[in-house]
Amino acid sequence: MNSIPTQADELAIEVHDLRKSYGENLAVGGVSFDVRRGEVFCLLGPNGAGKTTIVEILEGYRTRTSGEARVLGIDPATSARTLREQVGIVLQQCGVQPDLSVYELVEMYGRYHARQRPVDEVIQLVELTEKRDERAKKLSGGQRRRLDLALALVGDPELIFLDEPTTGFDPQARRQAWSTIRSLCQLGKTVFLTTHYMDEAQFLADRVAVMRGGQIIASGRPDELGGRDLRPAEIRFELPDGVGLDEVPDLPAEGRELTGPRVTIHTRQPVRAAQIITSWAVDSEVDLAHFSVAQPSLEDIYLELTGSGGHAQPVAEEATV
Amino acid sequence: MNPAIPQSTLGRDLGLVFWQIRYEQRAYWRNRGRGVFTFVFPIMFLVIFASLDKGQTISTRGNIAFNDFFVPGILAYGIIATTFVNLAIGTAILRDQGILKRMQGTPLPRWAYVLARIGSASIVMLMMTAVVLGLGAAVWGLDFRAGALPGLIVSLVLGTACFTTIGVGITQFIPNAEAGPVVVNLAVLPLTFISNIWFPIDSLPQALKTIAGLFPIKALATSLQYVFDPRHHGAGLDGTDLRVLAIWTVVGVWLMIRFLRKPMGDVG
Repeated sequence: MNSIPTQADELAIEVHDLRKSYGENLAVGGVSFDVRRGEVFCLLGPNGAGKTTIVEILEGYRTRTSGEARVLGIDPATSARTLREQVGIVLQQCGVQPDLSVYELVEMYGRYHARQRPVDEVIQLVELTEKRDERAKKLSGGQRRRLDLALALVGDPELIFLDEPTTGFDPQARRQAWSTIRSLCQLGKTVFLTTHYMDEAQFLADRVAVMRGGQIIASGRPDELGGRDLRPAEIRFELPDGVGLDEVPDLPAEGRELTGPRVTIHTRQPVRAAQIITSWAVDSEVDLAHFSVAQPSLEDIYLELTGSGGHAQPVAEEATV
Repeated sequence: MNPAIPQSTLGRDLGLVFWQIRYEQRAYWRNRGRGVFTFVFPIMFLVIFASLDKGQTISTRGNIAFNDFFVPGILAYGIIATTFVNLAIGTAILRDQGILKRMQGTPLPRWAYVLARIGSASIVMLMMTAVVLGLGAAVWGLDFRAGALPGLIVSLVLGTACFTTIGVGITQFIPNAEAGPVVVNLAVLPLTFISNIWFPIDSLPQALKTIAGLFPIKALATSLQYVFDPRHHGAGLDGTDLRVLAIWTVVGVWLMIRFLRKPMGDVG
């Protein structure tokens, strides 16, 4: 996670120029990335960007049209049993035998694996101990999702695929799921995650690849994505009635915007700029409402990259279909 | 760098089949609707119709007791319900709920899972058989000759092989789980009326008898009726019907393999 690996066996997943087309329709158009052992790698993108297609190719559920893919050194298209022994899968929507209990299901799926973790330990890890003897069909949505995770973990996998693991969760259930996923990393597992929630990527991922239209349009650490760390900070506040933008003193800024009473100042020297503004405001007894200083959020970068926000800056690469 | 994964062996996989049968059994008996539809129905039909027809004889068959015909006929119906109907409807549900897809992602070999499903259906079939034949003998004087045991065993084995494999294989023609009972009943019910299940087809038009003769339902019913027919002696092996069952078993295995070869994820 914190050293730079150079050898191929340090990589859990290698993907090179992966393509998948359905007839005329190109779902994934030439995607390349590596996932290191022990890291949480996240594919982030809107619905229909091709995330699930990629995950299901890596899981062995779909065949690729062209390109290279290796999962734990094995071609997933061979659907080798040794691969299935080492990989845990949480599919996006997937049923489970409704008439068996939580304990029976974890035990049953555990038996399929040559190497397995103790049933009750796994149930405890996903916090389903209270529902141990409940039939699967009586579980709530969030409990079902945690059962999915338990079934993926009981085989003690090296690598875990999580396809949108918290979609439809309430905020509390999501926090709970996140802490469970975090605890997987502490066990040294590699996690391959897809999501369309930016905060999920931010919280969980060591590295993020943003997808749009079947292509990766940006990748990096969540705090570096899209040059986020290099961008000007934004100082925002509201001017009271009767005070114009021209009354704000000179300060080091890349630009100023005025929308109604709301001012946004882009600056690479946020500390100095903020000090100048606040000194002026205090000295001239001007009350600045909603004053804030912030780096662009991951959400801003994401919306900009995926083209769903109102920002003027063009996206670096267009998807070719 | 990985801890070594123990090599899987055939012995271990057969052990998995055994365990899986236990889980399948638990799930089967907990689902009351399925149990009624496949296990209780044949027994209910037996009790109703065998009671109504008690004492009647069949003039076209040398005046044998009607229930010497009807009990093995309903046994055939029960075998079809507990194997074919059970597996066809059940597999369509497993597919639609994504359970087959989930199973595909585990190390359990596909053949082992299907064998366990078939094994579990066969256990239900044997229990139903015991109840039908037990009731038949105790209440309606069904006569069984020990000498006809080979015929009974071969009919049960071939019938089970035939109707379990077709049951799994036909899932590829069931568009969704709701359509399961419709497809299955369309395939079974009309044929039962020309296949010696509810009444002897001796006086039906030849064309209908010919059609029924092409399908395994009449073959199974007739081969079982041959076993229990008091006019027959010998091993109870009814050559023609058993051959039809054997041919349909080959068809069933082919259908099943065709269904199982398809990946569960690729929709394109």
